[in-house]
Amino acid sequence: MAAWIKGGATDADGAIAAAATLLSAAHAPVVAGLCADVAAVRAAYRLAGSIGASVDTAGAEGTYADLGSLSRVGAMTATPAEAVGRADVVLAVGARPWGAPLLKRLSETKPTRGRAAGAARSLLALGGPSGTGAALACPAEAGLPAALAHLRAYQRGHLAGDGPVADLATRLAAAQYGVVLYDPAELGEAGVEMLTGLVMGLNETTRCFALALAGPDQDRAVVQVAAWTTGQPPRVGFGRHVPEHDPWRFDAARQAAAGEVDAVLWLAALPAPRPGWLSTLPAIALVGAGSAGAEAAEIVIEVGVPGESLGGVLWNEGRAALTYRAATGPTDLPSAADVLARITHAIATGKDA
Amino acid sequence: MSVLTLRQAPPERLDFLNINPLALGRLSQGEAERLPVGTTRRGLRLGDCFSVSLDGADTLVVEGGHERLDRVGAALADGTLRVVGDVGQRLGEGMTGGVLSVSGHAGPFAATGATGGTITIAGDAGDHAGGAVYAAKAGLDGATLIVRGRAGRHLGDRMRRGLILAGDAGDMAGSRMIAGTIAARSVGDHPGYGMRRGTLVVGGHGAMSPTFVETGTHDLVFLRLLARALKRLSPEHAELIDRPLRRYSGDLATIGKGEIWASA
Repeated sequence: MAAWIKGGATDADGAIAAAATLLSAAHAPVVAGLCADVAAVRAAYRLAGSIGASVDTAGAEGTYADLGSLSRVGAMTATPAEAVGRADVVLAVGARPWGAPLLKRLSETKPTRGRAAGAARSLLALGGPSGTGAALACPAEAGLPAALAHLRAYQRGHLAGDGPVADLATRLAAAQYGVVLYDPAELGEAGVEMLTGLVMGLNETTRCFALALAGPDQDRAVVQVAAWTTGQPPRVGFGRHVPEHDPWRFDAARQAAAGEVDAVLWLAALPAPRPGWLSTLPAIALVGAGSAGAEAAEIVIEVGVPGESLGGVLWNEGRAALTYRAATGPTDLPSAADVLARITHAIATGKDA
Repeated sequence: MSVLTLRQAPPERLDFLNINPLALGRLSQGEAERLPVGTTRRGLRLGDCFSVSLDGADTLVVEGGHERLDRVGAALADGTLRVVGDVGQRLGEGMTGGVLSVSGHAGPFAATGATGGTITIAGDAGDHAGGAVYAAKAGLDGATLIVRGRAGRHLGDRMRRGLILAGDAGDMAGSRMIAGTIAARSVGDHPGYGMRRGTLVVGGHGAMSPTFVETGTHDLVFLRLLARALKRLSPEHAELIDRPLRRYSGDLATIGKGEIWASA
């Protein structure tokens, strides 16, 4: 197992002891990233709970745009597999869906199940890039949230007339099974809530579902682990021994900028872009083999990559569920969950000594 | 008049939920100094950061604020709480009565869920002033919020009742409003985004959402009554209404019973 302390190679025990020392001395540590399998995320929550750390995830911006809307107006969603099987109309909102493999798959297939089975599938675009080949493309010069509001006003019949937006509303209402594809981080919470309202309005007369694209992170899995562990969404703090949920206070980037953090544990067994603030703080990075070197943080510990070198439960985007992924090759690296448990144990025994 | 004097900048965010004139009035000096205010495992107590001087009065002054003081005046029911300096997030959260004033700036979510009383911020307010916190049903819910300086984005987001007066406000003022009144010298882009009911009175505004339609220039009795009500709080805001105003109706993406009054 490869591990480094301040750039110098060391062994596992040395790096784990150094991590335990750093975290036990910290007053306000943060456990961030959480881009790993379920066992590692559970171990991260256990560690955070035992040292009074706060928790944040790699894709929190998008996660909270979706959760904020969900907590207030609910949601009406489909899985990617359902969309591929049943949708006869797909509306892609914003630019991000056009880079997603799912949209390519949707454009190459036709609905095979349900009311729209055998029909052609039309792709519509709202605020996407030009030259996408969509059957109808509406620009969104005033921004995506405003464009969605405009579309929803036509859908409700509060605005009437001709034009691409009115046409878009008509096509969605005429669909047997519509799917609205979007990236929550691109839309923001207000936009997601407007989109949900649009989808719910369409369900008065036909079927339509929202489908959020998952990021490269494991946030969807973390949301579920957090819910069954703390009863809260992911961003919680254990500073007062109970899980307190506060999406503003426990935003790790904000905390780092405000100087409220004195140690960070970055968990990224799967590749995740490292935020800039990580290098400004005393940090421990648990990184997947080969995804980063000694420069990633003050203390770096290499762990096995779940779904590649180790088995692990990960988010399965196609089925929208937690799924076990077996290892595809052997490794001598430990799992992130194992390393986190050893750090937690070292901190607990260090206290007793 | 009881006084808390900040000795040095707090090393972490402090939670002032339990620090108000009513609660301190029942405590001895020592008990007050031992009130837990820290939010990390340091376990900070009030006496660690503030020198405490109590006299049982219903007025409490915090001499020396800091942007790390969260929930100042939260759940305040009666009495007066004055802060000389800045405060952090959730100023006056869930407040039901009394008077709360801040001489400096406030963080985000000021006056969220406040059902009564008056909150005055002499400086600027962060984003979501009078707005709803995560998963909350409503933002400002009956209290009066006055921001003399600049308010951030999403002023009065999902507010349900009450009055907000602001100098300048950022984008999406009055977003997702359920009801209530906001008056501001100017607001940014897309005021009233997704609003259901409620009234915005603005001196100037940025880009208007296409889901608001102009319904003419009016001089209504209601506006004169509103001006009279505002005059007591802020003559500057009452002046916004002493002329014929253009009315926009929206947000048509929702039930569209809200209105924005803008200078013609």
